Amino acid sequence: MAQAVNPPPMETLDWKGQGVTIAQVLDALTEFRHRFARAMVADDDHPHPRNCVMTLIAVAATEAEEKKAERESTAIAVHHPSLAIVVRDQADVKAGRIDAWIAAPEIADGSASPMHYELVKLHVHGAAATHLAALVDPLLVSGVPTYLWWLGTPPFGSNELRDALQIADAVVVDSARFTRPYHSFLALAGMSAHVHKRLGLADLQWARLDPWRETIAQFFAPVARRAYLSGINEIGIDYAGEGRGNRIPSSVLIGWIASALGWKLKRAAGGMGGVVSAQYEAERWRTVEVAFRSVPKAGLVEGEIGAVRIVGTSRGITFKVSIARAPERVRHASPDLGPLSFRSLHPTGGEDEAGMEIAQRRAIQHREMTFQNRDSLHHTATGDAPGDSVPPRPTVIARERRGADNSMVLLTLIDIGGADTLRHVQRIESTQDAALLVQVLALGAHDAVYGRSLASGAELMQAL
Amino acid sequence: MTAVGAAVAPNPLAEGLHDYRVAEPALMVIFGATGDLSGRKLLPALYNLAKQRLLPAGFAVVGAAIDDLSDDAFRKRASEKISTFSRTQPVDPQVLQSFLDAVFYVKVDFNKLDDFKTLARKLDELDHARHVGGNRVFYCATPPPTYETITEQLKAAGLNAGEGYHRIVIEKPFGTDFKSARELNHIVQRVFHEDSVYRIDHYLGKETVQNIMAFRFANTIFEPVWNCHFIDSVQITAAEEIGVENRGAYYDKAGAMRDIVQNHALQLLALTAMEPPIAFEANAVRDEKVKVLRAIRPIADDEAAKATVRGQYASGWVLGEHVHGYREEPNVAAGTLTETFVALRLFIDNWRWAGVRFYIRAGKRMPKRVTEIRILFNRPPHLTFGRQAAQELDPNAITLRIQPEEGISLKFGAKVPAAGIRLRSVAMDFLYASSFLVEVPEAYERLLLDCMIGDPTLFTRADEVEAAWTLVDPIEAAWRDGRPPLQMYQAGGWGPAAAAKLLEADGREWHRP
Repeated sequence: MAQAVNPPPMETLDWKGQGVTIAQVLDALTEFRHRFARAMVADDDHPHPRNCVMTLIAVAATEAEEKKAERESTAIAVHHPSLAIVVRDQADVKAGRIDAWIAAPEIADGSASPMHYELVKLHVHGAAATHLAALVDPLLVSGVPTYLWWLGTPPFGSNELRDALQIADAVVVDSARFTRPYHSFLALAGMSAHVHKRLGLADLQWARLDPWRETIAQFFAPVARRAYLSGINEIGIDYAGEGRGNRIPSSVLIGWIASALGWKLKRAAGGMGGVVSAQYEAERWRTVEVAFRSVPKAGLVEGEIGAVRIVGTSRGITFKVSIARAPERVRHASPDLGPLSFRSLHPTGGEDEAGMEIAQRRAIQHREMTFQNRDSLHHTATGDAPGDSVPPRPTVIARERRGADNSMVLLTLIDIGGADTLRHVQRIESTQDAALLVQVLALGAHDAVYGRSLASGAELMQAL
Repeated sequence: MTAVGAAVAPNPLAEGLHDYRVAEPALMVIFGATGDLSGRKLLPALYNLAKQRLLPAGFAVVGAAIDDLSDDAFRKRASEKISTFSRTQPVDPQVLQSFLDAVFYVKVDFNKLDDFKTLARKLDELDHARHVGGNRVFYCATPPPTYETITEQLKAAGLNAGEGYHRIVIEKPFGTDFKSARELNHIVQRVFHEDSVYRIDHYLGKETVQNIMAFRFANTIFEPVWNCHFIDSVQITAAEEIGVENRGAYYDKAGAMRDIVQNHALQLLALTAMEPPIAFEANAVRDEKVKVLRAIRPIADDEAAKATVRGQYASGWVLGEHVHGYREEPNVAAGTLTETFVALRLFIDNWRWAGVRFYIRAGKRMPKRVTEIRILFNRPPHLTFGRQAAQELDPNAITLRIQPEEGISLKFGAKVPAAGIRLRSVAMDFLYASSFLVEVPEAYERLLLDCMIGDPTLFTRADEVEAAWTLVDPIEAAWRDGRPPLQMYQAGGWGPAAAAKLLEADGREWHRP
């Protein structure tokens, strides 16, 4: 006999408990699911099918991170039914206790079926906070991937992190938000090399490099230009901010190119003004010069790449692709190429801005790397005699290093042979965290190219 | 005549890029650039490709039509169309401006060779300035009767050969019968190699249509039961709630059979019934589709009266609004006998499908817009739980929903939670839109990009078109003899009563989507 049911209207469901056990949280979650199934369903209809594409566990160390995790996971849930578990990790509070909130906000996505989204917030005090797997494993949805999003800096090398990774199919971090970014980045690279193959590893910072990677790859897409890959002579990158921690995106981008093309790092040095010079050995012992420099630019947060220039020659044809973000740069009037000998060796390329910049950088690099050594590079920066002092490590201040919205435009200038410069403008969509998170999770956070680019980028960072 | 080039090593920098499908720089010439298709679909689709950074530096569009326009005037028109019809709103002014900077216009009277030579000069000029390498796509967004003139003029102007690739895109209908389709194929193939001919049927660009193959051939649990031993019948429904709108003149000559069944519906049938291709590669997929189309038992003469139904909508109510009958639509001949509804019962005479009925229905002014394929399985051979317990139990069914609410539904029996044994059908649903963490691209975007990349898998090959007409022509011939007679149906219904009777005669009924 059919039971008379007055289906409750679909509305936001809420539950909270203080000093609770995970078993109580699970009971509450089960009750939620039952109510959802019957919501807005007539007596003789089928219950709503429950749809869930993933469990997203967000680990937050601060209130701001917790709010952010809540906001971004809800933004994702508008299109992707999911379970989000936000864990506020408060291991330093001595008294052990778990406070929990569950919410199932009503999400209208325009379809006939209501979107199923559950948000579980756990405030975990005491030692339990260091045993994440035991806390959230009972709550996980079976059969869908579990992603662990560590909002701050993961405690690399700790038991806490190792424990958390046990339940995850993939871990997502944002190296742009690491405190002590240089060390944390190297630790991330170390972890990447040692995690189990099943575990995916994604970095939102890597996803932010996609437009650069796509644009560079696009230039070499035509079959006729494939040979240019083995003709690359120089790569220059401008980035915002100073200090080695801010060179991470540039290093990973170079790591990506170097690992894809089989280049080997021969030497690298860092100098004043955030300058980095490196030499890679490409096929047939060919040398590729790489240089970074710090160029402040409005709209860029520290560490972000402002421009990439690739120059080369293939079968007698010179090519130059210059990609600049937010292209409103002031043209350099008179590039300083140093002594006359360097001027003749490094022609500027006429009035072209990219040509002048590349010539300038080449000349500096030539001076510093060909005829001097790392100490003198330091000497140039500090005025100290070589060997008198250890090159200072610029301090990277741990703070919010991401803008709220990094919408941007890329201008690509292409010069091939003697033809006129071809100009191409592309819009980069919002790189807000929710969009980036969806982007990396869509691939399951398994990206072999990231792994090898990370390793190669870390090698460069360590060599500086 | 151009052929497909030899395979080259992939771009190592493209590895691992999410959805990286970048074409080589090319010039796309749109014939009929000031027309409806160009403004509503092509230009917005290209703009959206640009927005997704899928158009390479150097790519340019050259509009070609009879109107006397400057580049700027055409850009203004393109801008308005993109702003109105782009699927992504609001339009991004920077992307739009950048896209429009690569849009040009050449006045072309299709009958004047000099105009094509002017076009050739413009293309050469752009080619040099934009490092395009001679790559050309010629898109015929024009009525089919112009295809012959355009292709001949392209050849005469030397635009079908030279450095780079030279591809031509033509829109359905590909002919109006077998003879005209074959003629069209010959005309186009005289100028372009078949590998460079892209016959576009935007249905094939839909993700859900492509997913039919993924569903069948990427899973082990369905293919073993995908045959006459387990499947009772297949129903393909392609229903629209709209009438002929402003297409009366075209539609009155085509009818539902030529407009929907000959292409969309038969493509869905082919994808549902084809054997597994050896690879998801253009010729392997299209070979298998052609085999299925050729295995469909022909319907001719008296058989047409038994296995087909044709109908025309009269006035009625659709979505709460009163609508006119077909004969009251603009540009439709008085007393016209053109069908706006078709129902067919088909058999595929091969080992896999012997005896399985394939029902197709397609029509306008039906209750709602829905396209779906429903696979109905046989009932269990023995009623373990007794007839009483299973009286609410339907046979197992898989429904592949193409549009809207794209997804897959599996219907199976389960025990009702109560004392005793009572069985009821339940559904297990997969919703395409909410099950992945990615957006579903628009069909034209996918197909335009495929054409530029040189992947014809989702385009129709000449022999597919001809095989489909081989099936349709005898039915049309029987209809012209009044077998079966045209039946009227009320707008807002699921077709004439004869459509229901077609299945009732087989002991079956249409699924109500």
